[in-house]
Amino acid sequence: MRRTFLKSAAAATIAITTLSFGTAASAQDAGEFYKDNVIKWIVPYDPGGGYDEYSRILIPYFEKYTGARVDIVNMPGSGGMKGAVEIFNSPSDGRTVGIINGSAMVTNQLAEIEGANYKVGDYNFLGRMVADRRVMVAGAASGIKTFDDLMNNGKTDIVGATGLGGSTYVDAVITGDVLEVDQRVVHGFDRSGDIRTAMLRGDVQAMWGSLGSAIKGIKSGDHTLILHGVKNPTGILADVPSIYDIAMKMEGGDRRVQILESWDALSAVGRPVAAPPGVPEDRLAFLRDAFAKAMNDPEFVAMASENDRDLSYASGEDMARIAKAATELDADIEALFVAAIRGEI
Amino acid sequence: MTIIEGMMSGFSQSVSLEVFPYLFVGSIFGLIIGVIPGLSGHFAMAMAVTFLYTMEPAPGIAFLLGAHATVAQGGGLTAILFSTPGTGQNAATLLDGPPMRDKGEAGIAVGAAMAACFLGATFGALVLGLLIPVLREVVLFFGPPEVFILAFLALTFVAVLGKEDMTRSLIAALLGLLLAMIGVDNVTNTFRFTMNIDALGDGLNLVPVILGLFAVAEMIDLWVRGGTLARDVPKALSARETQAQIFQGIGLAFKNWWLVMRCSAIGTGMGLIPGLGSAPASFVAYGHAKQSSPDKDTFGKGNVKGVIGPEAANDAVEGGALASTLAFGIPGSSSMAILLSGLFILGLDTGPQMLNQNVDIVFVMIFTIIIGNFIGTLVGMFLVNPLSRATSIRASVMVPVLMAVIATGAFAGDRAIFDISIAIVFGIFGYAMKVLNYSRSALLIGFVLGFAVEKNLYLALLLDGPLFVLQPIPMMLAMITVLFLGWNIYTIVRDRKPRISK
Repeated sequence: MRRTFLKSAAAATIAITTLSFGTAASAQDAGEFYKDNVIKWIVPYDPGGGYDEYSRILIPYFEKYTGARVDIVNMPGSGGMKGAVEIFNSPSDGRTVGIINGSAMVTNQLAEIEGANYKVGDYNFLGRMVADRRVMVAGAASGIKTFDDLMNNGKTDIVGATGLGGSTYVDAVITGDVLEVDQRVVHGFDRSGDIRTAMLRGDVQAMWGSLGSAIKGIKSGDHTLILHGVKNPTGILADVPSIYDIAMKMEGGDRRVQILESWDALSAVGRPVAAPPGVPEDRLAFLRDAFAKAMNDPEFVAMASENDRDLSYASGEDMARIAKAATELDADIEALFVAAIRGEI
Repeated sequence: MTIIEGMMSGFSQSVSLEVFPYLFVGSIFGLIIGVIPGLSGHFAMAMAVTFLYTMEPAPGIAFLLGAHATVAQGGGLTAILFSTPGTGQNAATLLDGPPMRDKGEAGIAVGAAMAACFLGATFGALVLGLLIPVLREVVLFFGPPEVFILAFLALTFVAVLGKEDMTRSLIAALLGLLLAMIGVDNVTNTFRFTMNIDALGDGLNLVPVILGLFAVAEMIDLWVRGGTLARDVPKALSARETQAQIFQGIGLAFKNWWLVMRCSAIGTGMGLIPGLGSAPASFVAYGHAKQSSPDKDTFGKGNVKGVIGPEAANDAVEGGALASTLAFGIPGSSSMAILLSGLFILGLDTGPQMLNQNVDIVFVMIFTIIIGNFIGTLVGMFLVNPLSRATSIRASVMVPVLMAVIATGAFAGDRAIFDISIAIVFGIFGYAMKVLNYSRSALLIGFVLGFAVEKNLYLALLLDGPLFVLQPIPMMLAMITVLFLGWNIYTIVRDRKPRISK
């Protein structure tokens, strides 16, 4: 009896404190709150990776528009899940944000992979920095110059991939299934660089990856661009067949394109910057605004393009819609993806 | 730009006023990071990379690579003086470094280690320079079948290390292989041996395991035993004695130049092989030094060759490790991945473009490794004296201080409290192994090579089928492995006979 009383008393105290703090916070002007405050920016990978690099080039501009000091904290582990979970569970006072591997977090959530203790749809997104443009390349040693070669060279070609459920793997399996490619997906490479070495040696004929990581090898002739999953191709993608064109021409094209649309929805999640659920609305609005300004700062845009870094900004509101679309797939398509992620196709 | 022009330009850039100061600062930064247990070259580069955004290419590279180049030197210093390897690469130095310290020869050991590092780094960097024209072919030589057999060959060096007690060494090595399997299997997504602990999903981190097995275990031993770190030395060496010993040590490294060359070649070769990492190289070099030495019995009891071998190899690794990064822009390790993104930030393209058009930058790297290690050696010599005095501080003071440093080092890599507990668990385990006379080095070799052996075996089987061993190059490597193993078993049997007949 007494314990119950103590418990409820404690609960009441906590509730009252939370409430009073909550009102105090919302009364305070968000801009005032961030001025000279510290924002923790979580990067779920090692320093020096793409996520780290994107964060580091943006942060000076994000600081400029928030007035806060932004500290990067690298938190690698579980393929980016450790950092994503850390952001999801951090205090919702708006002082912790982070960049996440959105597409991978969605697939892990769909497949209910151990450690995926977050809900992508529940993050408060500040916006998206970039979405990968997925491309398929074939190694110079394979003799494959076009997607037609891959389909019609009379042998089962080997497509390399990293871990089960990784994007190189899911791309290869889903597109291979949709386009009925005569391929064998060999996964287990440590990192995408190892697959590239294997392509150079001729152990593996082709692989999927982001245009950003493939571009160097394409330019140097180490591998050839044969297929892409971009709807409005520009630049070097314009001369290469898109996966939608090919699927459309096949029997039952609509259904195939429908699956590819879902696949595209996954890629569209890209690399968003997220805050945990429950951040006070005025602070979230302030952060979204600052993120938009930073992403569109001419100096930042110039610097990113100078460094060959793709940008594809999406606002926080759009990002919420994109994340929702990616996590709420048709039941049969979701089953297909889950099977792909688990290696059951 | 021809290679000769590139070399000249690379050298003059490296010693120019715009570059040299950065190289100097980078090298000292790396040395300090190396001295701190648990912080590795990977960490030094990760910290350095954030400064690159405003730098020019040549000073940027000198700073970044300088910080990476000297880490193993700093790590050797603490391995010898405090039985605490600064980085994974220095674990093999623990076999003979601390025993030398206990004999009152700390200065000799450090001098020999520093000079061996410098010579090894120079060797590796020069080999890299010589390989430039054929770099791409060399890197592509190693596919999964070749790497599998080479990793297996490296594993057989356990036999040399644990010759005195083969059964215990094999048990330890196999246990190491099992420990390597902890975590999510990349191929099947199965959780192996994680005991429902989420943090084990990524497997055991190398740094806390090494810190535990060696550093924490030594601390427990020191605490139990009492006294001071430098065991049989009544009082600290004077500054003059230390100085004299350092020069004697440097002299010994040069005197054993042929050993240095062979161990450097082992290091460079293993650096070239993708995915092996630098820790096994120093153990294989140690095994080779022991194997080829007439005074095998004194290894493990403070033989200077047991310090020179691994220290030469662990710096020679650098040159080899750079090869695949430079030739294709494909990083072979996490440190090289950071280097690559550093180059990217500096606006440099790797791969054929760099080898053809920016070959001077490649030589800036080569000279950075050489000059950086030279600076590391000089500065390291001045660090020895104050640090070696600390070895005569009594255990009740020293152990808590070093334990705090070790715990910080275990934490710092991934900012994980969990890693501190790993270090402590392995510390208790390592102490038990030490008391029961099981080889911790054998366990570590199994652990480090476990990943490479398993992953490459899987890929080789998938890509080339079960008969991959019958391809010409893997076949040749497999025969070398069998011969090597056979020779070792023969010598063990031969050495044992007289004792039985007694």
